[in-house]
Amino acid sequence: MTSNQSDVTSEQAETTTVHPLQEFADSVAAAVGGEAEITFDTVKVHVPAERWVEALTTARDDLGFGYFSFLSAIEWTNDPAVGYPLTDEVEERIEVICTVGDVFEGRRVTFSTDLPVDSPTIASLVDVYAGANWHEREAHEMFGIHFEGHPNLIHLYLPEGFTGNPLRKSFPLLSREVKPWPGDVDVEAMPTEGGDAAADEPSTENPEA
Amino acid sequence: MSIDADTIRHLSEVSVSVELQTEDMTLNIGPQHPSTHGVLRLVARVDGERAFDVQPVIGYMHRGYEKLAEVRTYPQITTIVNRIDWVAGYANEIPFITAAEKIMELEVPPRAQYIRLILTEMARICSHLVFMASYPLELGAASPLFFALRERERVLDLLEGVTGGRFHPNFNRIGGVKPAYGSGSMTRKWVQDLPAGFYRDTRAAMDRVLEVCDELDNLVAGNEIILARTKGVGVIPVDVAASYGLSGPNLRASGVPFDLRKMEHYLPYDELDWNVVTGTNGDCYDRWWCRLQEIRESAKMIQQAIDQVPEGPIQAKVPKVIKVPKGETYVRAENPKGEMGYYLVTDGGNGPYRVKIRSASFSNLSILPWALEGALIPDIIAIMGSLDFVLGDVDR
Amino acid sequence: MELLTDLMSNFWIALVLKLLVVALIIPLIGMVIGFAEMKLSAKMQARVGPYFAGGRWGWAQLIADGVKFFQKEDLIPRDADRPVFKVAPIVVMAGTVALFVVIPWGPGVIFRDLDIGIFYALAISSLTTVGVLMAGWASGNKYSLIGGLRAAGQLIAYELPLVFSAVAVVIMAGTMSMQGIVEAQVSAGYPFVLLQLVGFVVFMIAALAELSRIPFDLPIAESELVMGYLTEYSGFRFLFFFLAEFANMFSMSAIAVTLFLGGWHLPGIPADVLEFAGPLILIGKSFLLVFAMIWFRWTFPRVRQDQLQSLAWKWLIPISLANVILTGVFKVVL
Repeated sequence: MTSNQSDVTSEQAETTTVHPLQEFADSVAAAVGGEAEITFDTVKVHVPAERWVEALTTARDDLGFGYFSFLSAIEWTNDPAVGYPLTDEVEERIEVICTVGDVFEGRRVTFSTDLPVDSPTIASLVDVYAGANWHEREAHEMFGIHFEGHPNLIHLYLPEGFTGNPLRKSFPLLSREVKPWPGDVDVEAMPTEGGDAAADEPSTENPEA
Repeated sequence: MSIDADTIRHLSEVSVSVELQTEDMTLNIGPQHPSTHGVLRLVARVDGERAFDVQPVIGYMHRGYEKLAEVRTYPQITTIVNRIDWVAGYANEIPFITAAEKIMELEVPPRAQYIRLILTEMARICSHLVFMASYPLELGAASPLFFALRERERVLDLLEGVTGGRFHPNFNRIGGVKPAYGSGSMTRKWVQDLPAGFYRDTRAAMDRVLEVCDELDNLVAGNEIILARTKGVGVIPVDVAASYGLSGPNLRASGVPFDLRKMEHYLPYDELDWNVVTGTNGDCYDRWWCRLQEIRESAKMIQQAIDQVPEGPIQAKVPKVIKVPKGETYVRAENPKGEMGYYLVTDGGNGPYRVKIRSASFSNLSILPWALEGALIPDIIAIMGSLDFVLGDVDR
Repeated sequence: MELLTDLMSNFWIALVLKLLVVALIIPLIGMVIGFAEMKLSAKMQARVGPYFAGGRWGWAQLIADGVKFFQKEDLIPRDADRPVFKVAPIVVMAGTVALFVVIPWGPGVIFRDLDIGIFYALAISSLTTVGVLMAGWASGNKYSLIGGLRAAGQLIAYELPLVFSAVAVVIMAGTMSMQGIVEAQVSAGYPFVLLQLVGFVVFMIAALAELSRIPFDLPIAESELVMGYLTEYSGFRFLFFFLAEFANMFSMSAIAVTLFLGGWHLPGIPADVLEFAGPLILIGKSFLLVFAMIWFRWTFPRVRQDQLQSLAWKWLIPISLANVILTGVFKVVL
């Protein structure tokens, strides 16, 4: 069920061909009752927030995904205080992503669910995957997501008294407020196609040969 | 007076209840402690030599790379991912670069792929040799340190010769690897990626690495005390390891051939002849043994790869300013420490919208409370050391 | 020579002279062994070791280290039990010095040939562990406490095999006097190690444990307990422990040499030469054993507490006890 990078990248250019992971993605989506999507060889299954734990329990028990890779979140917002803004308008939400897989064939699926930006709350996965403990603590402090049923939901990286959720797009990166990142300032214009590239054509002959 | 069963039971209960009343002590191991590899801190409840409720406290080295990546451009991010697992800095670049290339739908030239493979395996040898050096030290044997680090130095010299950096090479470019102009010559202007004499030096260094593997095998695995300290200590079954997200040699020592080099095909590993090393018991000794065997496999891989490096360009055609189109993907690679992956969300800008860094040591370390429950203090050090973590990889 | 005899006949002058010798010899031996450890470990680890201090081979490295220790601030932790903390290094040093009393350097060259020499030596060598326990307790540090208690547990376990293997020698020699044991070997014509090989091996293992050298350095165990009972010590107090460790290595080896390897005697050397060569022979033999200890230290890892205890109680004590019984039976039968 693994993908071959070189094969896949050429196939992806043509949207008409069926992705080799499509069958696998559909079967997972059917088993957990979600919607499957394949983005650049990553199978992503979207499930409703209230069926989060149920879906991952199914994935572990019925689909054999006993390997917990990671859990994190993405904040989708239209006016970030730091970083590059999105080009298209999106629905403002916090998307929780959790990748699980199996250790024998290397299959993997990224489960995702949407939470509201204000007071996001979701059930904890600690009872399903023990490794979710630290990942949820990290997501808790970084995004302010509350994980119900987590045994020890305290700060992981940040000191006890820290306020704010650093990975939220509204959380300012103060050094960038003072001075814009220099690398961003001197961005040059795009060169014309096939311009002076030929002059720099590198020779890679082996001097030992 | 006859003593019946009830009396005996009563007496035994009495003797239990009048047992010496001991008081548990809270022992704080770290953040400054010789065996915590930097700034890990463990808080344990200790009853004599036995520890309970071990709670790791991390974050002393949190540098906020996920946030920093959101304000950097793509070429700038490779410099910060180098610093995640600094023992194998080069290997950290691969999954990030591959993720960006995947969304840009770039075809990386085979020569660049081979160079990446050779350098990744060199980074793996370096990382594992550091483990070979530090692990016996944690068990009290100081000498293997020097044998292992001496060979690591040779491999680091090779890495430095190609990339210019010992620990933070920053050698990958989106679409290929960095071209080095002149290669030491002031007059010839051709672009050279590998320095003169690289193949010869690499062959010699790999022979020495294989030799030092035999030396370490004799020195460490041939020692009864090491075997007594590591065999059967810190056994982690496969299902527990998987549910905590252990990966790399730590998971393979439990007996699963979970190797992303075979599973994810991000570099031409299929064109080489090598084996996935698996252990059987999942104890500290197997984790040590797996890493030793992986050094051997990596050295053999490099020996094959330098015979097969194709000629050709080292860079795919990319625009001068890298803009990655809209998309999201998760790319993972087999780092020396385990699964290292980047969940990359892009939106056509100069930099990514969000980068989730999945580092191997973070998940590997999260099993500590489970693995250290009821362990003796010397075993805490033995188990912790056998997981081979780097604090930069834990805290990111 | 006559002058020396006259001087020695005066009790007070003799005392001062003997004190001077002790005051010089213990730091000197400590430094020689410390330097040997530095150089030998470097050889074993493909390093150079100390190189610059003193011009050649870095011979002055330990003098420089000693000067450094004396320059350091005398730190005592706030929670420490101050008097005990201060006394502990002195107790350790006292045990070390007292052990030198009964080492026979040559025929007639001994500080005091006690009738119960070996008994005294084994008893006084435990004083070091008392000092270690004091240091561990008084430091007010949990690592120090664990280290001190480990040292105590180790002492209890390894004192028995040490005593039993010495008892076998006493049975063979028929005396507890250290000079008497050497003379018994001289008159027997062979060192006792030939018949007491088991006892010698047990004695050396137990001596390593008594000295807390690797593989039995659990009281220090720097990868587990930071530095064990030494964690809070610095400056000249640390130097005391440091010197005592090396001097103890020597005195333990010297006792082993006396018991098993024929002491100051070497066959084929005439008696009048032995008067002068005796100390050199003893030092030479002892340094061979010290070399073995250094060699072990840089080769072996550390055992665990339960393995340490089971080695003592399940193996060394029964073996040495059987050795005592066998020796007794042979002595009676022959």
